[in-house]
Amino acid sequence: MDVCIYFQVHQPLRLAQYSIFESTTVSPDGGWAHKGKKYFDADLNAQIMDKIAKKCYLPTNALMLELLEKHPEFKISYSLTGVFIEQCKEFSPEVLESFKQLARTGRVEFLSETYYHSLSYLFSNKEEFISQVDLHAKAISEFATPSKVFRNTEAMFSNDIAYHVERLGYTGILAEGLEHILGWRSPNYLYTVKGCDRIKALLRNFKLSDDIGYRFSAKWWSEYPLTADKYANWLSQLQGDCVNIFMDYETFGEHHWSDTGIFEFLRHFPGEAAKHQNIRFATPSELVEKIPPRDDIDAPQVTSWADMERDTSAWLGNEMQTSAFSMLEAMENSVKDKQDPELMRTWRMLGNSDHFYYMCTKSLSDQDVHNYFSPYDSPFDAYINYMNVLTDFKDRIEKS
Amino acid sequence: MRIAMLGWEFPPFVSGGLGVHCFELTRALCRKGAEIDFFMPVSGKKITPSCPNLRIIEVAKTELAPYLVFTKKGKQASYGDNLIAAVNEYWTKCEDTVMREAAIKPYDVIHSHDWLTSRPGATLRKKLSTPLVQTFHSTEFDRTSWPWDYVLDVERAAAANADLIIAVSRRTREQVCRLGAPADKIRVVYNGVDRERFAGSQVDLRMVNSLKRDRKVVLFLGRLTEQKGPVQFLHAAEQVLSAEPNTLFVIAGKGELLPLLINMSIVLGISSNVKFLGYVPEEEQCKIYKIADVYVMPSTSEPFGITALEAMSSGVPVIVSKTSGVAEVAKSAIKVDFWDIKMMAQKIVAVLRFAPLSRTMVRLSNGEVNEHTWEKAADGTMRVYNEAISEYGKQVPALR
Repeated sequence: MDVCIYFQVHQPLRLAQYSIFESTTVSPDGGWAHKGKKYFDADLNAQIMDKIAKKCYLPTNALMLELLEKHPEFKISYSLTGVFIEQCKEFSPEVLESFKQLARTGRVEFLSETYYHSLSYLFSNKEEFISQVDLHAKAISEFATPSKVFRNTEAMFSNDIAYHVERLGYTGILAEGLEHILGWRSPNYLYTVKGCDRIKALLRNFKLSDDIGYRFSAKWWSEYPLTADKYANWLSQLQGDCVNIFMDYETFGEHHWSDTGIFEFLRHFPGEAAKHQNIRFATPSELVEKIPPRDDIDAPQVTSWADMERDTSAWLGNEMQTSAFSMLEAMENSVKDKQDPELMRTWRMLGNSDHFYYMCTKSLSDQDVHNYFSPYDSPFDAYINYMNVLTDFKDRIEKS
Repeated sequence: MRIAMLGWEFPPFVSGGLGVHCFELTRALCRKGAEIDFFMPVSGKKITPSCPNLRIIEVAKTELAPYLVFTKKGKQASYGDNLIAAVNEYWTKCEDTVMREAAIKPYDVIHSHDWLTSRPGATLRKKLSTPLVQTFHSTEFDRTSWPWDYVLDVERAAAANADLIIAVSRRTREQVCRLGAPADKIRVVYNGVDRERFAGSQVDLRMVNSLKRDRKVVLFLGRLTEQKGPVQFLHAAEQVLSAEPNTLFVIAGKGELLPLLINMSIVLGISSNVKFLGYVPEEEQCKIYKIADVYVMPSTSEPFGITALEAMSSGVPVIVSKTSGVAEVAKSAIKVDFWDIKMMAQKIVAVLRFAPLSRTMVRLSNGEVNEHTWEKAADGTMRVYNEAISEYGKQVPALR
């Protein structure tokens, strides 16, 4: 049984509270600001980056490095969005440095994705999606070899996505191990994808992933408290070729604070795993290389790992979200015609999936998750601020 | 269950939310099998009880309104010169009448509303050895910036004497705590709305032609008193008009601030975009909502704010101040700080400008108003009655 551990690492570039009433002086630096106003809140983004660096990135990376040194068989993988890397460079260079150190161990793989953590695959024209994948590969190659395994934003996956990604030269793609795709089959095997040649799908074992990602500190959970030996024992009893444990990196220290014991769990996990002879660690590329696919899966609709629905409804579930997204998409050609890197970057930053996530109006428990991550009081406030910025930006493109 | 409910007003004799509350609550309670005698001052109008289990018993003649009026001479607010005398007279007669009725058939609970009927409630509790429930629809802190000691004393006594207290929001519960009531004696029961009455009303074409025409309408509906925030509303109007000039601000209601507000609209140079309707009778209010594109409730202090639910029922997007009780329950409303005029204006502009926002808010509120029913308020009230009876029984077992 190969255990494949993958962490998503991302911080969005949050918008500034954008007022439509301020005076209209032109920004001297011609930067992201229009009429002298900033679209993005540098202070807020720096502050959040700093907070999460202290709570999660720095201590977790230090611990990972220690574990990699102590356990030669231990392996992990990440994907870092371009937006995250940029913010590291600007606000927290030491975080990026610690990822580089991990890269140098040679047992850490960095997966590919869109640079801007965007929904660009959902544009009807795939050109922008391809550009962003390319941009991301360039950014990663500064410190590591970009992987031939791809992870679309929030694990968005479909036959069509796999098809496009395969044509870009990727050999593997991450996806949510959903029952409606798998049927009676287990996520603990690799699969080929309907309509594609060879690309292999790595399916997230959401039960075992969420045991750490969501339930680790849940006192209502019958398995609480989760210990490293218990978890390693569960893994050793699994049937299949591999188990894919995928989660947000912020699980460590941020979603579960240090006092929940999450770091202790992590510290002991590789050692506990080593006690079971049938457990080996592997990176996504190694899985793709050595494990033959067992069957074909068919995902005609886009799936993801977000919300209860596990589809695109977290970003495009209501009219506010779809209309804002259409407006952004419709600007593609006029932005590109300007051939202005700064305008291009702004437009792409406005495509961060997070902006749309904040506008979600689902009720019940998912809304709590959306609220937890949102810098806004409500989805309406998120939409209003986004639209004020986007309208202003559109105005600027049209007038320039 | 037999209830002696001590009120002040009942439709069609209504000057505030208290009358609406008593009408709807008694109707819903009677449907649940309660038998209610509703005691109130002589109104001089024909009041038809809304259900067979309800008797309206008019006690003493009074011509006083329960809300503040400004005297012509100066800034000092007062309730009118002979208020205390009239109130005392009502209290005495109310007590006598309830005693007489109780002698014929005893009551299980005495329920008084606000300070205006709290004192006879306390007296009757002793004389009849019957548990007392006291509802606070507002406190003196909400009604005026210059709380009147006399009323505060009555309210403090009311908070002390009742077996259980009903507050119309968590916000009101905090205010009642300020009056000295222990928090564990207070139950929050939110107001409801008779959705059908508002959803069913038709658009009045005459009103559209004479008032709205091709303009967007921003509506204020409430007493023109400092606590309702009409001054903030006009300041926001000025800002909104700078961005959306083809907008009409409709102010429905009367109150001591009317002359000031008219003057203010002239000074701000927006008088041609502000329309004062004066007092709008209840049956006309449904029609006013129907011509509104957004309803704004900028109250500086609002114990609940039923009008927000009425507007939601009418299919109008709603913006409410965070300092209102309804903000605690209305998920589909935008919440603003009453003092942040720019932000308030920005939200108004957004609702007028972005149709997907307005439609999403209306769609969500259509679902939401079904949860805020008087049925639910009656259930909550009934639970409080039962709790009061059992608590009272524990305190004075000999008497029961």
